[in-house]
Amino acid sequence: MPLLEYTLAKKLLERYKINSVESRYVKSAHDAVVFASGGRIVLKLLSQKALHKTKAGLVKLDLGSEKEIAESYDDLVRRGKALKPYKILAQKMAGQGVEIIIGGDTDPQFGKVLLVGLGGIYVEAFKDVQMRLCPITKADAEDMLGELQSGKVVTYNGKASGEIVSLLLKVSKLLAERKEVKELDLNPVIVRPDSYDVVDIRVLT
Amino acid sequence: MVQRVDLTPMMKPKSVAIIGASRNPDKVGNVILQNYVNAGYEGKIYPVNLKAEEVLGFKAYKKITDVGAEIDLAVIAIPAPAVPLALEQCGKAKVRSAVVVSGGFAEIGETKLQDKITEIAKKHHIAMVGPNCLGVMDTRSKVDTLFLPTKKISKPKVGFVSFVSQSGAVGSTVLDVIAGEGFGLSKFISYGNAAYVDEVDILEYLMNDDETKVIVLYLEGIKRGKEFVELARKITKVKPVVVLKAGRTSAGTAAAHSHTASLAGNYAVHEAMFRQFGFTVANDLSELFYYAKIFASETKPQGNRIAVITNGGGAGVITADEIASSRYLKVADFETDTKKALRKVLPALVNMSNPLDLAGDADANRYRYALDAVGRDKNTDMVVVIILYQTPGADPSVTNEVVQKKITLNKPLLVISTGAEYTKKQVRLLEERGVPVYESPIAAIDSLEALFEYAEYKKRSQSQ
Repeated sequence: MPLLEYTLAKKLLERYKINSVESRYVKSAHDAVVFASGGRIVLKLLSQKALHKTKAGLVKLDLGSEKEIAESYDDLVRRGKALKPYKILAQKMAGQGVEIIIGGDTDPQFGKVLLVGLGGIYVEAFKDVQMRLCPITKADAEDMLGELQSGKVVTYNGKASGEIVSLLLKVSKLLAERKEVKELDLNPVIVRPDSYDVVDIRVLT
Repeated sequence: MVQRVDLTPMMKPKSVAIIGASRNPDKVGNVILQNYVNAGYEGKIYPVNLKAEEVLGFKAYKKITDVGAEIDLAVIAIPAPAVPLALEQCGKAKVRSAVVVSGGFAEIGETKLQDKITEIAKKHHIAMVGPNCLGVMDTRSKVDTLFLPTKKISKPKVGFVSFVSQSGAVGSTVLDVIAGEGFGLSKFISYGNAAYVDEVDILEYLMNDDETKVIVLYLEGIKRGKEFVELARKITKVKPVVVLKAGRTSAGTAAAHSHTASLAGNYAVHEAMFRQFGFTVANDLSELFYYAKIFASETKPQGNRIAVITNGGGAGVITADEIASSRYLKVADFETDTKKALRKVLPALVNMSNPLDLAGDADANRYRYALDAVGRDKNTDMVVVIILYQTPGADPSVTNEVVQKKITLNKPLLVISTGAEYTKKQVRLLEERGVPVYESPIAAIDSLEALFEYAEYKKRSQSQ
């Protein structure tokens, strides 16, 4: 299953009103500094040959100064030699919050499945996830979040934020409508009481 | 979804032919015929046997086409290679349904032979269950294709729980256990290899069956995923379904695969689907029974607050702990009026709180006062009655009191009671008269939670 190119994946999400952090491909350290325009950014090396970017040291977080950005850019170029062809993506640094994963899969018998769980580095460690068949209802989305072991972390005072509930509904709609999308990972999505940031996107077609 | 087959002629047949009805009492065909006789089936019975003139006093026929009368159901219990011809003849005789109990098909790799009989059944519009199955039982029409000797297995009483099992062995165990439970059985269907009639057809039939109020399902795999999901969305809006899906782990999956030549599928996705559509998921056979029992008792909770009435302090606390640590249930906080009313009638040593400990010398009167009060209490939605029969006051009059109150109380009620001989006798009396009884607080509270979750699901899905 081929990985959908990042900007195409981002556009696909936007069609379902799912916003992800501001991103742009950069061709030089200078490009990246201009994109940062004084704020803090993340640099990522994207290649079909490296599906787990963090493990391979291909994600450089929270870069601010010109020097930090330039050093990280050069390091990615060095690592990229073995991973050609590749691209380097610059993203605005997302705010603080709880990391969750929202995913999609295709079950051979029942079709599209939506998944939500505690995200980032905890996905593998705790495997704390809830699944539903697509399309889901609003009540399903609330149940999924409430039934997580980490439900109290992912929700606020036991109430799922309307933002995450509506995000789950949008992803479910995308999965149900887009037959060509076989698998999808939004991981991490950084969640706060009243907002979220989709930080990384993987769409397999 | 268009209903593919009608199982009515199979469950309510006016006439049954038994193909392979042997004179030898050790043969399956003989046991089946004998069971029909023993169960008191009132329709016409036609044994089909190549050699015999009569079997067990019934005139026998060489071929089913020789019968010359309408046949609703043919039970086929002959060696696998002979089944295609027998089924063709059923087609000629315009038989409406068939149960193929014979093994020797896909479960041992004979998929071609299985495909062949499926084709024949479809061609002649015969609703075929099996092959490699126990078949069907209906406690009302007294249909019983099960080849289990009656001396080894108790027959359940008539009730409203229907049980569906792919596996014959699990099915017969369940049947035996149900016979010992207070709730009765409506229908039992073991469908084996599911060559034609599968779980979707069976569930659709039971969804529309007025004699079925609770469906209990043991699954190894699902044949038609999309159709199952379509039905799952509808069925729990009508009645509760308790499901046990084998193959939670890959070890279990491997066993299920070789067992019934079925696809076990991915358990996590199955479980997600069951929960999404309001099924009650059991993790083992004992859970299957205790969920079935609470659903069979048929009172719907209005909320999640539970009153605990007990004649043993410790048991009351353990139960309250269990409620407090459950996901959805709460220990009820009695109304002031309830406490006042209880104060007047209960001895001074009783504390008017929940759990309501009636003390070790509690008799039927105290249970009556307590049940009357929680029955009226607006902060109580469900009632747990703990009866420790080992104490001096707990005797058959307490049993009677609870049975009476269960009838008039408009709230779900169950009893927790643990003990040996004397207790078991009282438990049996309670269950026979419609009071669900549990041995452990965990099983009891899990069951009330399942009841509450289902009620919530139903409310929610009907408002959508």
